[in-house]
Amino acid sequence: MDSTTVLAELTGNIATVGYGLAAIGPAIGVGIVVGKTIEGVARQPELAGRLQVLMYIGIAFTEALAFIGIATYFIFTN
Amino acid sequence: MTSPQTTPHDTHKPAQPTSIPVLRRILVYGGWLALGIAVVGATLGGIFQGGVGVVSALIGTAMAVVFMGITAGSILLANRFAGHESAIGAFFGIVMGGWLLKFVVFLALMFLLRDQPWISPIVLFLSIVAGVIGSLVVDAVVVMTSRMSYVSDVTLPPAPTDA
Repeated sequence: MDSTTVLAELTGNIATVGYGLAAIGPAIGVGIVVGKTIEGVARQPELAGRLQVLMYIGIAFTEALAFIGIATYFIFTN
Repeated sequence: MTSPQTTPHDTHKPAQPTSIPVLRRILVYGGWLALGIAVVGATLGGIFQGGVGVVSALIGTAMAVVFMGITAGSILLANRFAGHESAIGAFFGIVMGGWLLKFVVFLALMFLLRDQPWISPIVLFLSIVAGVIGSLVVDAVVVMTSRMSYVSDVTLPPAPTDA
């Protein structure tokens, strides 16, 4: 007797889910980075230049994850 | 009794944010790094995959560095609106809009390039990863070595003078 029962079946390319996972993390990360930068600039507008650079570094590191994740999805789907 | 003579703030040209030279340096150094990665990647791609590897390495490096550089470029573009009434909205609209557009274009490019016969997917992937990590290293080094005064984006009104 089969010990497992299939209740639901997923058809298609499972790598599509990988793209979704690759997008969620950076989306949250960039949202936090930009939101906190807006907070900082609103509190201290004279620090806008410094905060922009820090925001840029935060976005760069976060979007690197997205680039590598999306590239992985496309390259390894075959 | 003299009253201080000050010029209204709106007659001043607003100071440009101090991030501009740092971001320019990031773009310039990123360009040099791209050149280096393209040469090394094309050499290795040529050795292991032939002409297809060279093309893939060049395209992969260009994609990584251009797409990573768009963030700095969009911030530089958005800083042109500094001092405008809608500066904050324009800034985040341009930076985030550029970010979204960049990923849509990146997705479309990957979709188009994946099945091309003149592309080696592994070399393309490794070149993209090398370009992305390399540009992160450049970003971090430039920011760590750049000097920015603590409070610098403020425009002080002119000193009061006796009449």
